[in-house]
Amino acid sequence: MISNFITMNGYGLYVWLSFSVVFISCVVVYVKTKKTLRKYEQEFLAELQNLTLEEKNKALANSKIAQQILATNFKAN
Amino acid sequence: MFKFFSSTNIYLLIQRLIKFINSIFFLILIIGLTFALVLSPPDYLQGDAVRIMYVHVPSAWIALACFSVITLLSVLNFIFKIKNFYFINKSIAPIGLLFTCLAIVTGSLWGQPTWGTWWAWDARLTSMIALMLFYILYILTFKFLSKEELIIKISSIIAIIGSINLPIIKYSVEWWTTLHQPASIKITGSSSIHPEMLLPLMVMLLVFLLYAALIFLMKYKTEIIRIKKKNIKRY
Repeated sequence: MISNFITMNGYGLYVWLSFSVVFISCVVVYVKTKKTLRKYEQEFLAELQNLTLEEKNKALANSKIAQQILATNFKAN
Repeated sequence: MFKFFSSTNIYLLIQRLIKFINSIFFLILIIGLTFALVLSPPDYLQGDAVRIMYVHVPSAWIALACFSVITLLSVLNFIFKIKNFYFINKSIAPIGLLFTCLAIVTGSLWGQPTWGTWWAWDARLTSMIALMLFYILYILTFKFLSKEELIIKISSIIAIIGSINLPIIKYSVEWWTTLHQPASIKITGSSSIHPEMLLPLMVMLLVFLLYAALIFLMKYKTEIIRIKKKNIKRY
């Protein structure tokens, strides 16, 4: 039964290759997208750090997004 | 109403949706793979090669759906000048390209055992290659042009011209004699696929849709952060 599952009655190469290509491509795109998102979050935080204390507090008080990015980054670290 | 569509609310909604998809994705993926690789029966003609359908068909459907959405939003953007549509399109296009490529590759892997060839320049396959080229052109406008207004204009023109290809893809198997089989699943009219194969197909479609939604949300979130970064001193 297991060998039938692996060989797929002679079609194993095509079936497993198809599923593998899809799986690997999807994982690569996911990792790349996540990395880009992380990069932009880091850049946003770096920009926030460059502000004066007053500007920074104002930005954090007025922007929920800035608060969220800061919180996410805090959790990740 | 308009307050609900503020970038802050959209951002918070995206965060919640990403969490939700992450929490259910692996369970549905495991169910889908179990159905597709173990529980669904082999085809009486194609044998186990039919299992490629469970990754090939959802890929092709999502590839077509993404381009349809891009076209629709491009037209709406032309009329109403809603910049958000441009960011949505920018986030959708790479997903559409990914699934177009996957549909072509898995189709080729399915073609070898069933047709005896990896590739044939028949109407369906050629029109899918055309779709891939339109996606590449569309994405290249974002990569190589810098003026946002020019990008919106050119990318919208590419999308609208490319949309002519969508009905060609859909009806190519009826208009011309092709190696590719006609549609087995019809929204109107009776489908010729057995329910034992339809169920795994629908579960795998759900898996692919969830994945596409997850990537879209992450890309859209990246776009929001990019814009917020530009305007950080305006707070």
